[in-house]
This record gives sequence, structure tokens and C-alpha cells, in this order.
Amino acid sequence: MSYPGEGNLQRATAFVAALGVGVAAYIAVEAAGGDAPTCLAGSSGCATVAKSSYSHVAGVNIAVFGIVGYALLLASAFFANDLARFGGFVVALGGFGYSVFLTYLEIFKIEAICQWCVASAVLMTILFLLQATRLIAYAGNSEVLPDRA
Amino acid sequence: MTDADRRTRMLQLASGAVFLAVAVVLVLIVVATSSGGDGGDTDLEGAAEVNRQLAGIPQRGMVLGDPGAPVELVEFADLQCPYCKAFTEEVLPPIIENQVKNGQVKIAFHNFTIIGEQSLPAGAAALAAGAQGRGWNFVELFYRNQGAEDSGYADDAFLEALARGAGVRDVAKWNRERDESTAEVEETTAEAEQLGFTGTPSLAIRGPKTGGLEPIETPGSTGDLETAIEEAR
Repeated sequence: MSYPGEGNLQRATAFVAALGVGVAAYIAVEAAGGDAPTCLAGSSGCATVAKSSYSHVAGVNIAVFGIVGYALLLASAFFANDLARFGGFVVALGGFGYSVFLTYLEIFKIEAICQWCVASAVLMTILFLLQATRLIAYAGNSEVLPDRA
Repeated sequence: MTDADRRTRMLQLASGAVFLAVAVVLVLIVVATSSGGDGGDTDLEGAAEVNRQLAGIPQRGMVLGDPGAPVELVEFADLQCPYCKAFTEEVLPPIIENQVKNGQVKIAFHNFTIIGEQSLPAGAAALAAGAQGRGWNFVELFYRNQGAEDSGYADDAFLEALARGAGVRDVAKWNRERDESTAEVEETTAEAEQLGFTGTPSLAIRGPKTGGLEPIETPGSTGDLETAIEEAR
């Protein structure tokens, strides 16, 4: 089975993780200002989710954890070694798992959908797939392989 | 360790991490599903007592009692105000027990927000609970769990825990309607100022012997309030 070059996976990871930092930072900044992120088309879902007690863990807005997670993934994209491959995979796995849980909460417990949270969940899913591919294809490689043309 | 060994080891660890992650997510979902509520770690006091006290009394919006009661008492209060808490817990209960329950008096709670910035969302949360017939349960429960004045305790998690404790059935709807209720809080605050009130709690009364809604001096005891009601009847 042929995989994308590791350099391409790293660049894609950097791009998506940077978007994730932006999305999580926007949610965190709005929350810090006492507001909720603005949903498109006038939906009140973002405000409902932001006001829910699920929006904080141990008093910290979960968007802050998102920023940290995306930043770690962004950092992992700059290194081509096993620590970056495995660390990136673990962080993306944790982020993806928590995104699944948050999506469950939005649908079944909070009964409101925050478009920014959905955007973050989609980004984290893409990152998980990228990191899984990178780990499966390149784990154990002690040399940086050139991208295939 | 060769590259192949390291690769095998990493993939084994990754497989274990995936199984662990799946297990953790499933546990989180099961716990969230079985908890039934999400009031965080807020411990509420007096929910059963409040719900028992108000059981069987009609509530419409923020009005407690028979809508056709001849005397209406309007309380202008700030949920963060300790004097309002004392008034509600010490002066009002005999009135509710003896005159509201038998349909002679109804009591309307109007927000008069003067304490701090959390008073507005707290008042709006009470109104949203009132839209589901649990407004007075929310107010009474708020007072029983009131914190130090304007200390920041009345956050969203606190309000949501109160809503659940007060018996608000559709918390998602309550959450959606909270913002829409802030205008009404501002309206009743303006109404209180128009009536000349400067502090909380302030009271006004309407009855057969009053000329509309008339401000009264805040009663210091149940006896004083009974006298004011008698004069309005």
C-alpha cells in the first residue's frame, strides 16, 4: 500500500493544526470576554453550548485545552522522528476522542449544535487520520524519506 | 533496537492507546447519560424543601398564586441581595402558606437589579424558569444557595444547577430563552425606578382598596405585611 510522503503529511498537519489553533482561540477569546462565539445564520446553538456547564472542565474553558492540543500537533509537524510521530498520534487520538464525546453531549445532552465546535471536531478528525497514517507508514524510520513525486 | 523492532513496539503502543481512548469515551458517555443532569459540582441546598413548600400552588410566569386572587403583592428584588433572601425566607413563608395557598393573595416577583453584573443574567434565568412554571422554585432555591454579595458565584454552572434543582423540565429550552429574558429584567428594573424605589427588596401592592399598584414600606415582619395586605383587601 502506498502512503503519501511524510513531508506532505507534515505540511497538511501544520495547515490543519494552524486552523484548529485559530478556531479554538476564537472560542476561548469570546468566552474570556463573556460572550459566546457567533453562530452563522443567527443560530443560538453557540450561545447555548457556551453557557452549558460542559463548556468548562475544572474551571477552565475547554477551548483552552483545544489550543494546547492543536499547538502540540502543530509542533509535531516540524519534526520527522518517532517522538513527533507517536506524540502527534496520541494527542490527535485524545483530541478526536474528546471531540466524539463533545458531539454526543451537544446532540443528546445540551440539545444544541455549536458550529465552531463542529468545525473543531472536523479538524481534529482530519488530524487524527493524518497522524494515524503518518504513524502507520513511517513509525520506526530513523531517516527522513524524500516525498514521492 | 532495530528500526523494525521500534516500529512494532510503537504500533503496539498505538493500538493500546486506541483501545484505551475508546474505553474512556464510552465511560464518559455512560456517566453523562446516567447522571441525568449536568449541574457540575455545585451542591444545592434546600431543593426538596422549596419544591415541597411550593407544591400545588399555581405559578404563571413569575406570579405565585391564583391569578384571580383579589390582592397582588409585587416584590422588586435582586437575587444577589441578602436582604431579599432574608425577606423571602423569614417574612414571606407564612403569607404563602396562609394567604397564597387559599387564593387570597398572589405574589409577583419582579427583578430590580442593583447589586452587580451577575444580577441581570440571574434574573433572566429566573424568568426563563418562570416560562416553564418553575420561576418561584428557582428564586427560592437561589436564595437558599446565595453566596457572598457579587462575589462571582452566580455563574452559568450555578444557574444551570439551580434550574435543574428547581425542576425546570426542558433545560435546553431554558438555556435558549435566558438571553431573550434580559430585556424583561431591564423593564422591571426601570419600573421599580419609576415607582421611586432605591433599594431591595421593595414592595408594591394592588387590591380592591388601592388605587392601582401602590408602593408600600418594606415590611420588617410577617405581621407588618399582613397589615398591608388587610388594608389593600
